[in-house]
Amino acid sequence: MANILNANFLSSLGDTTTTLDAIKNSQTNISKKSLLAIDGRVDTPYALFRDEVEDSQEGIYSALKSIVEKSISQLSQEERAQTAIIVGTSVIDWNVIDAVESTLYEYKRTPYYSKKTSIDSYAKELTKEFDLNGFSMTINTACTSSVNAILEASNLVDSGLYKYVVVVGLEIFSEMMSTGFYAMQLLSESTIKPFDEARDGMVLGEALAALLIGSESSEWEIKGGFSNCNGVNITAVSEEGDEFKEVMLQALTNANTNVDEITALKAHATGTHSNDLSEMNALSNIFSSDLVFTTLKPYVGHTIGACGALEVAIFMSCIDDGFIPKSLNHQESIKREYQPLLEHKTCSEGTFMFNYFGFGGNNTSLILKKEHA
Amino acid sequence: MKLYVKATSSYRSDLEEISIKESLKKQYKVDVRRKDDFIHAGLLGALRLRDKCEIQRDDALYLTSGFGNINILAKMNEYILEQGEYIKLFDFINMLGNTTSFYVASELGIKAKSIFQISDNFTYFHTLITIYASLQREKKEVVLGSLDIASLDNEIIKRVAGIEENQEVLSSVNYQKLSLDAENALASIEFDTNFYTLEQVEEVLLENRKRVYCSVRCEAFGCEKESFYFETEASYIINRAIERGESLLYIDFYDNRYKILRVESM
Repeated sequence: MANILNANFLSSLGDTTTTLDAIKNSQTNISKKSLLAIDGRVDTPYALFRDEVEDSQEGIYSALKSIVEKSISQLSQEERAQTAIIVGTSVIDWNVIDAVESTLYEYKRTPYYSKKTSIDSYAKELTKEFDLNGFSMTINTACTSSVNAILEASNLVDSGLYKYVVVVGLEIFSEMMSTGFYAMQLLSESTIKPFDEARDGMVLGEALAALLIGSESSEWEIKGGFSNCNGVNITAVSEEGDEFKEVMLQALTNANTNVDEITALKAHATGTHSNDLSEMNALSNIFSSDLVFTTLKPYVGHTIGACGALEVAIFMSCIDDGFIPKSLNHQESIKREYQPLLEHKTCSEGTFMFNYFGFGGNNTSLILKKEHA
Repeated sequence: MKLYVKATSSYRSDLEEISIKESLKKQYKVDVRRKDDFIHAGLLGALRLRDKCEIQRDDALYLTSGFGNINILAKMNEYILEQGEYIKLFDFINMLGNTTSFYVASELGIKAKSIFQISDNFTYFHTLITIYASLQREKKEVVLGSLDIASLDNEIIKRVAGIEENQEVLSSVNYQKLSLDAENALASIEFDTNFYTLEQVEEVLLENRKRVYCSVRCEAFGCEKESFYFETEASYIINRAIERGESLLYIDFYDNRYKILRVESM
């Protein structure tokens, strides 16, 4: 059985402690980023790192190294040699960009050199840095990247192939990615307002998160989950949310969990018009209106490839601290009987469902259980 | 660990003088609009596999690549960062790794797990390991696609591949339908999680009675290897061995470590 042994992260609200404090006090940290629009540049809201992460390749890697180091600090040299690493991200390694630019543009051209690089470069470097096993992998399934990494990691641990797997969620500002979301008219002008009639899109965010997964006993158990690829087109599912419903029901089956055993649900809740509507319709098809559900993106932004690991890590921290965090920016629900949590709720254990419904038809639900030892 | 191969399909750019786009349109009636070369190649391999076996709604799909979709990245870089032009929507969508897996899953009628993943090295081997672990839990079958496309500017690919400037690179797409079940299998692939040293591989070779193939990266042993390079070459070598009814031992190499797999045609 795979368990989450520890979780560490950096969000736009800072490290685990400062993020937790900010959530308790309903604080956010939304900055602005300038993006290329059709008629010039526009400022868009963005949940950027504060001073903890220097905005450079070295700065990001240094912060990532520190997060992973915390996650594996308890492991001996021998145990590290039995530890795999899986990164979930949509980020393209800067070395790849360098190769593109030094080839294509005469003024940037450098003499030929070849350095093995790929979107998995971060995992490769971390493997070397910490003498991990050598199995590294980067999953690139948009918003489900790092939650899919959690499911793949639990398979590797459950099958006994690796003693531990570090799952990393990584997302940093990318002009190309952000401009793409802007062009799709998916970005909010102000804040994420999940499941609210007045929602107008998402705010992107930066994050680094690391979870250590292993078979040793832990208060946090990965009960199971399900991932599928099912959408009516590349960017959306049906308004009824049947595709999301299927994922949640199969996740419950795989986790041997009944609907009424779910203590609370962390919704994907991007604040976009269609995704929220489909998720709400799917939720209300499975759960009664008594369902306790909340959202985390209003606090830290939509961290795309990192949101799987980050939102699990944040939610775990909140429960370990004794509460389910409330959702923010909510006034009028798109389905009146179903309101996200509007006040923090006391809770220190239970069975929790985590939804991630993203681009490219990739949808994943994960079920974790926390039980006091 | 052992996986059984139920069906295969292969495409290699130097062996077939075809337009992938035209083949998709004419032979498979696929809507090729708004998709790029990387996606087209992924679709061709997948549809060729579908010609040879039944693919179920709940089969999982894993796509892996050594290079990824470098061409779209180069194109986007030029538009947005260099020329300061507004993004083209479908270029953005095609840049996302799982766009290719979405289109492939859609054409194959797969509604189950679909993962696009890359390992910086041994990407094919590592994907086999994740598939094996996944099958232990899910007991379904898996479609594995390995894609490497070198069409726009091979120098970019050579610069990110860690290879010599004069090394020939190719495009190749290879699919396999994999299962834990041996029934009606064409072959088995046996592999493990170990990384081997040079000495350990030499010991393996002493006892080996199968034909031996090495990757281009592998300079030791003096065994057979191809002159061309693409990162997921192992998948092509396996498919070719199965087609010929051969059994072989394949050795890959990166950063002073070796990986080994064995193919046994049935």
